[in-house]
Amino acid sequence: MTAATTPAQAPGRRRARYLALVAGLAVAVLASTWLAVSIGAVHVALPQAWGIVADRLAPGLFPRTWTPVQEQIVWEFRLPRALLALLVGAGLAVVGAVLQALVRNPLADPFLLGVSSGASFGAVLVLILGAGALGGLSLSGAAFAGSLLALGLVYALAQRAGRITPSRLVLAGVALAYLFQALYSFVLQQAQSGRAAQQVLFWLMGSLGGARWHMLPLPAAVLGAGLAYLLTRHRPLNALAAGEESAVSLGVNVPRLRVTLFVLTSLLVGVLVATSGAIAFVGLIAPHAARLLVGADHGRVLPVTALLGAAFLQLVDVAARTVSAPQELALSIVTALFGVPFFLWLLRRRSAERAVSVA
Amino acid sequence: MSGVSARLDGRGIVHEAGLRVDGGEFAALVGPNGCGKSTLMRTIYRALRPSAGLVTVDGDDVHRLPWRESARRTAVVAQETPAELDFTVGEVVLMGRTPYRRVPAADEERCARALDRVGLSGARERVYATLSGGEKQRALVARALVQETRLLLLDEPTSHLDVRHQLEILHLVRELGAELGMATLAVLHDLNQAAAFCDRLYVMSAGRIVAGGPPDRVLTPELISRVYGVRAVHRTQLVFERLGGGP
Repeated sequence: MTAATTPAQAPGRRRARYLALVAGLAVAVLASTWLAVSIGAVHVALPQAWGIVADRLAPGLFPRTWTPVQEQIVWEFRLPRALLALLVGAGLAVVGAVLQALVRNPLADPFLLGVSSGASFGAVLVLILGAGALGGLSLSGAAFAGSLLALGLVYALAQRAGRITPSRLVLAGVALAYLFQALYSFVLQQAQSGRAAQQVLFWLMGSLGGARWHMLPLPAAVLGAGLAYLLTRHRPLNALAAGEESAVSLGVNVPRLRVTLFVLTSLLVGVLVATSGAIAFVGLIAPHAARLLVGADHGRVLPVTALLGAAFLQLVDVAARTVSAPQELALSIVTALFGVPFFLWLLRRRSAERAVSVA
Repeated sequence: MSGVSARLDGRGIVHEAGLRVDGGEFAALVGPNGCGKSTLMRTIYRALRPSAGLVTVDGDDVHRLPWRESARRTAVVAQETPAELDFTVGEVVLMGRTPYRRVPAADEERCARALDRVGLSGARERVYATLSGGEKQRALVARALVQETRLLLLDEPTSHLDVRHQLEILHLVRELGAELGMATLAVLHDLNQAAAFCDRLYVMSAGRIVAGGPPDRVLTPELISRVYGVRAVHRTQLVFERLGGGP
């Protein structure tokens, strides 16, 4: 601590800093979205992009300085895509934060625990074999079922006599992730049409290219409800992150909370993977960045994580669309470019901390 | 608690154990490794459901109370520590308010008072994981204090500490218990310490409570040889006393 603060002042100052941070991040989310709507093969200047959106919300307020083509591109394609990027980014980030608390391992993310792979497996089955193969399940339904199945299996494998150790959970998750990857690769190889397989492969690496307005309400509703619930449970989440037995002794109904969190994260991952494929690393990076900014308290971590994830994925999608235009990069390629170095840095930092604490 | 039995992995670990601790009293539970002390403690703070018997705090079966209510009666200082995520000391202490409605200003006040009481008043914003072993235990005692319970459980509170910090934490806890009229039950390893600090001593062996009462009556050479398989000898020896001053 550099400055001497009385205990009474410190929380107030922290609160002011936190609110400023949230406001700043909200501005970043808006700015990145504005940028995303303007940039692309058909250039739409920033003021025009703003005008098009504003004109839809309040017709006649702005002079029409844009062409109908520009309007169609912005309103029909870019805006829903940008909004979906925000939802998916925020959702994956929040899931990462919750899973890290749940398994008490800061390296946990939907990928490490096999959840994304399970969701992808369900989605691939529906995409390749058709909805009939899974008893008429929709794409989201199959992805949800897949992620729930994966999480349930990981959980069952990791527990012995009702107790779960985080390291066993992560090992089981990694193993199952490989299993599900092998399964959907098998289905892909067996697929009749090469084109369908190509499409699925692209989708598996994450893409928001298919975003339309009608795809937004479901993820928005699930994310909104999930985040609202999590924010009311941030204290039990803190207690759980500090250890299962501590949480019990602090009055948290641990078995019920754990089941609720498992179902909630599966649902979120399922819905998000169904709309955008499996996008790696967002769920790992955003919560860590959030903790570096605001500490470990979930009352602050969750909102900041959601905003960071949203802005991050928005910028990633802009990069994916523009770097090698007209070809689009899969989102996981771009997130990995940021994510892998970050992951390695995190590992080094943690092992350095361990070394210090042992010495 | 009376007639409590508990099973782990299908094996009976605790058999019909019974003990009681009154308000303001410091009771210690001792016994060889693996005799079931921690398992017994876990049935009290609900980490484990006993297969038989009754655990009551203030007259109510804790396993039938709502989770919040049992946490308002029993606090735990265990060895398990929140080290993975970078919680600050203040955040760790405020976790003690989890079973209560949040009242930010009053909770902050309680937190400051508790930290002051355990001698960590300047550490509110420090990261818990960077504290020394003794400071960590005192922070967890502060967490138990803001939980405002009738019963405090300590599961080997001194196991990673040097002798000075062991004495510090035991003195602190005993004083607090007497001050607040709180009942304290601690699993201790060191028989001399247990004898020196507790009002009541329970000895456990192979899942059973084999003796209980004032330490000077309980700790007989015969009992120690029967339970631990070692011979107890009386002899003049170095006794560690805490020097005056704060904790």
